Amino acid sequence: MIPAVAHIGDAAPRRRAGARSVARRTADAIAGAVGEVLENDRLASLPGLMQRLDPRMKAVSIVLLAVVTSFVHSIPMLLVLVVATMLLAAASHVSVGSFARKVWASAGFFGVLLSAPAATAWITPGPVVVALGPLSITAPGLLVAGRLILRVAAGAGFGLLVVWTTRWSDLLRALGAMGVPDLVVATLAMTQKQIMSLLRTVENMHLARESRMLSAGSARENRGWVVERMAFVARRSMKTADDVYDAMLARGFTGAMPSLVDLRASDRDWLWLAATVVACTFVLLIDRMVFPL
Amino acid sequence: MHIPDGYLGPQTYAVLDAAIIPLWAVAGAKVKKTLKAKQVPLLALGAAFSFVIMMFNVPVVGGSTGHAVGATLIAILLGPWAAAIAVSIALVIQALVFGDGGITAIGANCLNMAIIMPFVGFYIYRLVSGDSPSTIRRSVAAGIGSYVGIVVAAIAAGIEFGIQPLIAHTASGHALYAPYPLSVAVPTMALEHLAFFGPIEAVITMGIIAVLAKQDSRLLQMKPAAKPLRWLWAGFGVLVLLTPIGVLAPGTAWGEWGAEQLRTTLGYVPAGLEKLGGAWTSAMPGYAPAFIRDPLVGYLVAAVVGSALVVGIAWLLGRVLARKEEPPATPPSGTT
Repeated sequence: MIPAVAHIGDAAPRRRAGARSVARRTADAIAGAVGEVLENDRLASLPGLMQRLDPRMKAVSIVLLAVVTSFVHSIPMLLVLVVATMLLAAASHVSVGSFARKVWASAGFFGVLLSAPAATAWITPGPVVVALGPLSITAPGLLVAGRLILRVAAGAGFGLLVVWTTRWSDLLRALGAMGVPDLVVATLAMTQKQIMSLLRTVENMHLARESRMLSAGSARENRGWVVERMAFVARRSMKTADDVYDAMLARGFTGAMPSLVDLRASDRDWLWLAATVVACTFVLLIDRMVFPL
Repeated sequence: MHIPDGYLGPQTYAVLDAAIIPLWAVAGAKVKKTLKAKQVPLLALGAAFSFVIMMFNVPVVGGSTGHAVGATLIAILLGPWAAAIAVSIALVIQALVFGDGGITAIGANCLNMAIIMPFVGFYIYRLVSGDSPSTIRRSVAAGIGSYVGIVVAAIAAGIEFGIQPLIAHTASGHALYAPYPLSVAVPTMALEHLAFFGPIEAVITMGIIAVLAKQDSRLLQMKPAAKPLRWLWAGFGVLVLLTPIGVLAPGTAWGEWGAEQLRTTLGYVPAGLEKLGGAWTSAMPGYAPAFIRDPLVGYLVAAVVGSALVVGIAWLLGRVLARKEEPPATPPSGTT
């Protein structure tokens, strides 16, 4: 007998050739996310400039660069910062092409999409550069949009440098060393492990559904299945929390968290931090004095 | 709703980053009191669940999909303070491991999605569900709570975007960060969440609560919430008292223009709008009863009447839903 789940009803939508089902798309997205984490780990173990830095110095310097980026207003200096992210990526043995693709495919693309209306006379009135009626592109509009896009790209670039050149465990050690409570650090560490475990579970359940289904199924049917699976993941999460806690107690957990801090900054790390501070000061000075608003 | 770096100016993100730290500290203290040593695995799994739920593609219509945030759901399962920490951790991991959401905007993102969304959603859930064991009433309450929670969080994000041109601009008035004024940013964020993301969040939350109520109702036991309704009513009263501030705002909200304003702006009024524009005359046009001259008093009266109507309808709805699923008066006979 054909199981009910595999039965193709007359009204059931057929799967178009080449079209991916919702289950397949979700499984692929999850596999992509897991693959991304593994790739981040590989990149973080390369012998590049950023990878060799003490994670605390790196975190402080990148936050400083992200903050300075938010203070810079001139297009030339924002371009300098975007180029700086790419130079740092290259110095860290990261492919500049993949780095730029990643930055522009996410933050850059949405930056362009969201800032496009701001370039028109509707949002930013001023001298018209391209006449398109009420949606004419204006000179100040282009400046507003360009500034936003470049700032978003620079900010995303600095963020990606941390993600691609730092192991998660090193980042946690850095957070611990910078005064973040051990409890928070331990929770972050456990969360990342559980995310990977739950993602694998969710990927498998989607692949299992994909392999059982002969038709794409209706949106309503798929929605029902997704809701039921989410409830399963919720129950599984709560059950796992109980199991993990029992395992912690069995191993003698008394409520105190072990400290992960054993970092030592070298002269090179201090030099890097000093260079970053000097570079940030220069960027801000040039932005304010050479390109005043 | 994840705000990347570059959209918010330092004046905004610095304030929000500073504001989120004491909120995390309070949440940590509350959670420590209620969850004790068990907090680490429970928060970790709550955060992991929060992250994973966002990975589920939910079929909507025409082959398109969306995803839920799940903050209200987590608040119902763990309590609002624990949800604030769990969702914050998920957001921090999204920013630091997956590059989703900005480093400088972590405070803003956590405020919107880890504080406003679960708290609004949870307290509305409590208000509508009461202490009723009814599955239907709880599911509907969870749906309403999650819907309002995500819409309010989106409006908060819209306000954060919308104030940028006001507080950071060039001498000629051009925006330095997010360029859209409040009249564009707030309706845009609100409308897309009212019409698209809100219903997805509501359907998913309702469905999961219904399934959990059937399969493992212990998970839905009311979590300690530190006299929630008292605070909710106090906050609600303050908001009602603050409503006359709306009169001070010049102009009309974006997209809510009347026929006369359209005639002034466009030079004509679309025929359909002119025909249907006066079809319905409301009891309090312009948010003020006709017999009150002072606009501030009128606005306040309208706020009180409107709020009383909304609360009354929600209360009645709750009563009706609870009655539908009352347990049988006597246990079935013949069982041992």
